[in-house]
Amino acid sequence: MGEQRTKKRIGKNRISEWLWGWFLIAPTTIGLIILNIIPAIQSFYMSFFKIGDFGVNNEFVGLANYEKMFNDPQVWRAVINTLRYTVLVVPVSIFLSAVIAVILNSNIKGQDIYRSIYFIPVVATPAAVTMVWRWLYNYHYGLINFVIKKIGLQPVKWMDDPNVAMLSIAIIGIWSIVGYNMVLILAGLQEIPKTYYEAASIDGANSIVMFFKIILPMVSPTIFFVMITSIIQCMQVFDVVYMMINVSNPAYDKTVSLVYLFYNNTFKYYDEGYGSAIVMLLLVIISIITVIQVKLQKKWVNYL
Amino acid sequence: MKRRILAFGLALIMMFVVMLTGCGGSKTDQSSGQTQQTDKPASKEDNSSKSSSGPVTITYGLWDTNQAEGFKTMISEFEKENPNIKIEMQVTGWAEYWTALDVAASSGTLPDTFWMHTNSIYKYTSQERIMDLTDKIEKSDKVSMDNFPQGLVEIFKYNGKQYCVPKDFDTIGLWYNKTAFDEAGLKYPDETWTWDDLYEAAKKLTKPDKSQYGFLAALHNQEGFYNFIYQNGGTVITPDKKSGYDDPKTIEAMEYYVRFVKEGLSPQVFDDAERAQLMQNGLVAMGLFGSWNLSGFAANEFMAQNCDVTVLPASPGGGRASIYNGLGYAIAPNTKDENAAWKWIEYLGSKEGQTRQAELGIAISAYNGTADAWVESNKTFSIKCFIDMLDYAVIRPYSNTTTVWEDKVYEELRGAFTEEKTVEQACKDAARVMNECLAQE
Repeated sequence: MGEQRTKKRIGKNRISEWLWGWFLIAPTTIGLIILNIIPAIQSFYMSFFKIGDFGVNNEFVGLANYEKMFNDPQVWRAVINTLRYTVLVVPVSIFLSAVIAVILNSNIKGQDIYRSIYFIPVVATPAAVTMVWRWLYNYHYGLINFVIKKIGLQPVKWMDDPNVAMLSIAIIGIWSIVGYNMVLILAGLQEIPKTYYEAASIDGANSIVMFFKIILPMVSPTIFFVMITSIIQCMQVFDVVYMMINVSNPAYDKTVSLVYLFYNNTFKYYDEGYGSAIVMLLLVIISIITVIQVKLQKKWVNYL
Repeated sequence: MKRRILAFGLALIMMFVVMLTGCGGSKTDQSSGQTQQTDKPASKEDNSSKSSSGPVTITYGLWDTNQAEGFKTMISEFEKENPNIKIEMQVTGWAEYWTALDVAASSGTLPDTFWMHTNSIYKYTSQERIMDLTDKIEKSDKVSMDNFPQGLVEIFKYNGKQYCVPKDFDTIGLWYNKTAFDEAGLKYPDETWTWDDLYEAAKKLTKPDKSQYGFLAALHNQEGFYNFIYQNGGTVITPDKKSGYDDPKTIEAMEYYVRFVKEGLSPQVFDDAERAQLMQNGLVAMGLFGSWNLSGFAANEFMAQNCDVTVLPASPGGGRASIYNGLGYAIAPNTKDENAAWKWIEYLGSKEGQTRQAELGIAISAYNGTADAWVESNKTFSIKCFIDMLDYAVIRPYSNTTTVWEDKVYEELRGAFTEEKTVEQACKDAARVMNECLAQE
């Protein structure tokens, strides 16, 4: 629409509108450039170096970091773990948040209270939240195992068992992401005009038909947004794994995520070049997944 | 079509935003962690301190909250003597301390004075990120390296120059639950104990319903298997910087240590913080813990009532060892007031400061002859054993890349504790990865 008008005449008003536009997005843009884009480019640059202590005596090594990365079984384990975490968390969390959003969208009492309750995990600091979960999961004294023992079952090694630890982490992940997604989907639901439901009910549609013919298509752009952000967020899982799983933990190989590996290499082993290469791999993987999603969206997302 | 392009563009931007706030975020966290404890008005003061005659504020970075309490007293005493110097303590957790210190060292914003550890000493000295104190020590009439154990002086030397003043040392002791020993009708452990006594006692102290284990054989180096390796005459790192994990003596010690887990005399423990919890809840009857836990343990009601500590048992061949390590005081090379910073460190390293540190029970002072003052500081436990072990203590093994190979070794050794591989295999794997790391130094 805008382009047609600008072709005709670029007036003074138009220019001042542009300036205002740039002015208004400036804070975000500048922040993005300084805090995100420049460091990203620096990371890319660093991935070709062996970084000396405190960033001095850097030595150009070409693709050596990438070569090391492709031969490092731990990197591939981390890729699989990260994907596994995403697959565990994203579908379940979207399903749960959609269900909760639909329930909260109906006329039940105390809507606001429920919304706040579901949103609390989003506001809480991940590190603090994980500390509490660690106590719940504690093998010897944890509340969960206490209940399990009371029922007469064998206690579970929630954090040390390689087959269970990822599940424990995913539960925390789902728990903390559901509230945020729920609010977004709820907003999408409330944008659906009431007249649609009225028209449908006059035509004799029941609630199941309404869900599939009205709610789902109308809310699909929101779900698409939620899906993309959730996946990106999950691919970068770090806090929870870092707080729960030590390098000495037997579940480490089954839970270490790419960002955790990046952290260890960069901040613990001081191999910033290698850490940067790992982050570049993550960037590539996230880009590929995002591009595929954007391509696939036309099959199911409805923009009105 | 336009919408699709728009959506694609948006998605890309979103991707960058979410992706990179991760990195950006963590960096700001570190710097905020560093300045968190900083008083705003105080930092204003130090800007003006050079021009005006007001007091200079010297920042003092450390990682141990338990010790911070005692240092509050020492700081106020020091400030009374030196009204022109204000000491501002910056306390951070162990892990954050090193990340923050690293960033600060790169950007030239180190605290004026701070603690140093053997794990990082090479990195900081080789890149001149801490001040060479050789001349200052030579000129000083209060601090002399002759007053400290030679081993502690050596670890803070680089190319013949002294970079840190020794602060304290720590050794590892055998903690035991007296009540559990009484119940089982056993004699408390003492200096006559050998590995066999430890094993037999652990067997008798382990209850079949798993409500109590005899011994805590956690996957932990300094407060665990390192001690047994050196008692057995094995080594972790050889003088020519090769891994000692494939040494038969080392493997033998590891076999002995892991046996406690295999036979169910010890729970499988991999988490660092969990170890003390198990001792403090009476789930394990014996465990190895370093002297730095003392104030924490004394504050724990259960431990104060039920537990005590003694020297580590000797190997069957009579070999004794306890891993010891020391901390040092360092000064930033670009400190805003060299003299004031040195005055503070000089005080901390002087006989007076070291005695005070011992009396207040902050840590075992490194200064020769202050041990008694430290022993007097705690009546809850019989802590003299920590000093007695200094006679045969072994410095915590280290090289230029300690933090890297320690982690890699953990990754290989944990398989022995979960019985995925034999102890011998785990040790050989550990030796291999450790040698790979050492080769890159």
